[in-house]
Amino acid sequence: MSTNRISLQDVNLHYSSVGFRDRSLKAWLSRVFHTKSGHAEIHDVHALKNVNVEIRAGERVGLLGHNGAGKTTFLKMLAGLYPISGGRRLVDGTIRSLFDLSLGFEPDASGRENILYRGLLLGLAPRYMRSLESEIVAFADLGEFIDYPIKTYSAGMQVRLAFAISTAVGGDVLLLDEVIGVGDEDFMKKAKQRIHSLIDRSEILVLATHDVSSLSSLCDRALVFDHGALIFDGSVDAAIAAYRISQASVT
Amino acid sequence: MRPLVTDSYAMRVWQARYFWIHLSLADLRSRWRGSFFGILWTLIQPVGTTLLIALVFGKIFHAPITEYAPYILSGMIVWDFVIASATAGSLSFVQADAYIRQCKQPLAIYTLRTVLTNLVVLSLASVGLLAWVLVVMPQNFGWSWVAALTIFPILALAGWPLATLLAYFATRFRDLPYALGLAFQAMWFASPIYFEADTFRKGGLNALVDYNPIYHLLQIVRAPLLHGAWPTLENYAYCLVSIGVLALLAIVVGIRTEKVMIFYL
Repeated sequence: MSTNRISLQDVNLHYSSVGFRDRSLKAWLSRVFHTKSGHAEIHDVHALKNVNVEIRAGERVGLLGHNGAGKTTFLKMLAGLYPISGGRRLVDGTIRSLFDLSLGFEPDASGRENILYRGLLLGLAPRYMRSLESEIVAFADLGEFIDYPIKTYSAGMQVRLAFAISTAVGGDVLLLDEVIGVGDEDFMKKAKQRIHSLIDRSEILVLATHDVSSLSSLCDRALVFDHGALIFDGSVDAAIAAYRISQASVT
Repeated sequence: MRPLVTDSYAMRVWQARYFWIHLSLADLRSRWRGSFFGILWTLIQPVGTTLLIALVFGKIFHAPITEYAPYILSGMIVWDFVIASATAGSLSFVQADAYIRQCKQPLAIYTLRTVLTNLVVLSLASVGLLAWVLVVMPQNFGWSWVAALTIFPILALAGWPLATLLAYFATRFRDLPYALGLAFQAMWFASPIYFEADTFRKGGLNALVDYNPIYHLLQIVRAPLLHGAWPTLENYAYCLVSIGVLALLAIVVGIRTEKVMIFYL
């Protein structure tokens, strides 16, 4: 029996307002010496409010919500990237997350070198990454460009390579953020199959998407977020209904 | 029970070793890629600058060029390491923001990358110094040169916390690198880096030599190479205390701010 699980108790998350204010010594000094300023007050953003969720091994969970409801924040909090400001967060299992796919390439290094770098970023050993290399190269299907520097790649090619690398290694807890929808049509088909096999190998899936059809085909449970609060937790069909109601009440 | 925070942090830095070593090698490759002399520039550049400075200062201070030049060169390559670790180091998190946003790794690996890169550059540049001293002052060669090698671990242990500490601040205060430039310029003038320690003493500025960690740091290299003597215990004591203070500051600031750094990127 696998012990992978996610347990969140009264989790709160605030985005520090310092991050989006003027971040200079000058601005800090002027704040220290003149507390009053003509600008509008900027406060910390309360991005997750008292979230309580238990996810056990084997569950496939979808996230629904309007833009800015907290889906991505929720995923990044699970991944441990964002610190929580209150409550308890527990994630058991190796986390593999797919967000901001084309971030983190070294533009001057070749595609092949970047396969290695990306793998190392994920904490894998060089030998292991080399053993995966040919498979990743074949999947990305970039032809001779794999030995060209990344800066010569089009945006689509970068996404293909990033997708091929990030999905070559699985994990116990898979976090996906709107990644279904990359590349051209041919690549999309391959990508979907790949995502499915990745999901099959993982113990827990948490997926954020606006695509209701992929949600119902991939997930067996859904969470609905509204302005940072969890407003529904249950079956996918009921969640989609709850999401539509919350949307309707806004308009 | 959970292990101590510092324990697990050091452990995670170690586990990510392949990553930061590779980042550092990639930095070096891109530094040397696309230049005619490539790796040689690292050697030629400080030697060339030293020759120019030694010509001018040698005339001003009536110092023999052949002996004054290695003094400047030793000061220059060590000081270049300190400056690069501070200024490039302070931008380490900003530079690595794409990685930091994607994957949870201890942030200190990104400053370690910068320090490691600078250390390799320093090792190469020091070959020029060694060659020069061997030709001009062969009588200095001896066992004390082993002590000169300790400059590498000392600089690594001081540069890493220095870079990390400054990176925490520079990520929060984006104009810090400008202020740093000024601060280090001032430290340069107030330290016997290019100017000889005796020049300071003659001007009655003994304190700038005796209580200056930079002077003691440089003595680790200069005593053996330029005088054939062992560095004193005092030299080492100043270095170790500086390392301790920097490490303590970096840890204290890190415990409070490491988690929220991602919001400042």
